[in-house]
Amino acid sequence: MGDSLIKGRGLSPGNATSSVVVCDQYISPLGEISRDGLITSGPCENVSITGKILAFKGGRGSTVGSYTFLELKSKNIAPSGLINETAEQMVVTGAIISEIPMVDMIPLDIFLNGDRISINGSTGEVMIDGVKEKRVATVYLIHRGRILLLKRSENATSYPGQYGGISGYIEEGETPEQTARREMIEECDVHDAEMKRMGSEIYVRSGGMLYVITPMLMESKTDRVKLNEENSGYSWVTPDELYRHETVSKFKETFGVLTAK
Amino acid sequence: MTQVQLTKEEEKIFNGEMGEAPKIAIRLLNSLGELGGADRLIPIKSAHISGVSYKNVGEGGIQFLRKISHKVSVPTSLNPLGFDIENGGPVDIDANFHSKQMEIVKIYQEMGVMDSFTCTPYYYYNEPSFGDHLSWAESSAIIYVNSLIGARTNRESGPSAMASAIIGKTPNHGLHTDEGRKATVIVKVEEPLDYTKFAALGLFLGPKLNKKIPLVKGQRNAKSIELKALSAALSATSSIPMFHVEGVTKETRLVSDSPETMEVTKEDISDTISKNSTQQEPELIAIGCPHLSSEELTYIAGLVKGKKKIGPDLFLFTSREVKANSTEAVKIIENFGGKVFADTCMVVSPLSNTYGSTGTNSGKASFYLPLKGYGNQKVAFMGILDLLKWVIA
Repeated sequence: MGDSLIKGRGLSPGNATSSVVVCDQYISPLGEISRDGLITSGPCENVSITGKILAFKGGRGSTVGSYTFLELKSKNIAPSGLINETAEQMVVTGAIISEIPMVDMIPLDIFLNGDRISINGSTGEVMIDGVKEKRVATVYLIHRGRILLLKRSENATSYPGQYGGISGYIEEGETPEQTARREMIEECDVHDAEMKRMGSEIYVRSGGMLYVITPMLMESKTDRVKLNEENSGYSWVTPDELYRHETVSKFKETFGVLTAK
Repeated sequence: MTQVQLTKEEEKIFNGEMGEAPKIAIRLLNSLGELGGADRLIPIKSAHISGVSYKNVGEGGIQFLRKISHKVSVPTSLNPLGFDIENGGPVDIDANFHSKQMEIVKIYQEMGVMDSFTCTPYYYYNEPSFGDHLSWAESSAIIYVNSLIGARTNRESGPSAMASAIIGKTPNHGLHTDEGRKATVIVKVEEPLDYTKFAALGLFLGPKLNKKIPLVKGQRNAKSIELKALSAALSATSSIPMFHVEGVTKETRLVSDSPETMEVTKEDISDTISKNSTQQEPELIAIGCPHLSSEELTYIAGLVKGKKKIGPDLFLFTSREVKANSTEAVKIIENFGGKVFADTCMVVSPLSNTYGSTGTNSGKASFYLPLKGYGNQKVAFMGILDLLKWVIA
């Protein structure tokens, strides 16, 4: 597979390609972005956004903030694109009237600072150059209120020794559910489980890889499990016990989402 | 994204048949409607536009204003600018700033916007009623009219409020619907709060809630003026468009099915105040962010009446109408040696032309003033009685 492609929501049309500045904060464009194109507070204090694609949580503060982008644009020191987790309309208005491409509904933790990325403000697509995308299916297998935790082998290429679900790469032509059922047989010798809930895709960035994970909650009729060499141990734990284990990235949050009412 | 259903008339505007400015305006409203999931545009009673001070609008903004300049179709009030037009001040302005500022004012005047120049237009110029649909900018005024009056406006930006003023409509979503006005977090505050502590509550809650609408419990005695302080501080540090206060505001029935809860302690408030304050003597005491009401001016006049002034300058900020209707209080304050300015405030005037440190009771001002390249001030954030100790002999 080539470069990673993530689909968000297009908010202000146009294309931009540049390195990304990731600011894990809400920003008031009035005051917190200076008229010479620097962030003036928070984790990104003193970082320049000129010519970059600025990724931040969302806007806050003054309703005059839209004009900050126009001012930067008129001085040719504007960011070349904007990304928000969830946008509000003051920043979107600033992007539209300043003709800066903008996308939202993109989690910030898929980026590493300095990644070269491209955004399409019409389609909402975001591409990360040189980062390979791997599609993964992960099963959260439950039985009588307990969840199956597998201890990953110390030789595993990712997250060795940590706890996770039943997981595997989605191969060409497979649906996530087909992958899930294949992996359950391969990793655990579980042949029969009922699909309870299919979650929406989550992203986990690890170095040059972006894992796009489809999580599934499935229920097994039995607690009989037979491991292959991919995992070194297993246990059926209660949800409370789960939170005391060291698990692979985003495992606990995703379990929370899958089991929410 | 959802499609906003435009009427035949609106389609014509969209296609540019009514001119360039209305076309830009309705296209912006349409895009924002899609973003918010609006089904259609709805008529508004009034608009309020922010983006007046040259300090905030800049050169790029002026070019945009020229492009979109067009007669407004509903009563529209205007935010403060960089100085007091009739009396000058609060600080020296260079010739370029002055001429650019007056150019902005002229563009708005030609659009038929009121010469209100205030962030509290709800006192005189533009008084909404319960249930009115509006398109207002100015974060502190939006949250005030939603929360205290029960009028309905989204958090419009300067440009989107202007677009609505031209078209006379706004996209129907968010705060225009009951669903969008529901509290999603219940905040218990046991300590009785005064003006400055309400401002501190806003600074404390803003970054924690980000955009969630709170229902505040334990503050049944809150006064409108105190909730004005909460409005300004909360909306400066978040994108929260509204709050409810149990026993005080009118729509406390609007609560989501399973709200989160949180508690704010006495220490949270006192820590917020001390974190936002240097204790050294400021060069300027600035009060009136948001702009003062007649009641507040009268209260301050009572505190300084007949006293001798010492120390730093004392500046109070309000609107023209409030000033004109508070002649007695203004006289007392001026006799004391303080100054009362209209049209402007400590945040939107270029204060750092003259001052390096400011004392204020405003949570909003104590958020914006310290920012580098914007306010460039050291700030002493404290209650009005403590502030006045610097200036009363």
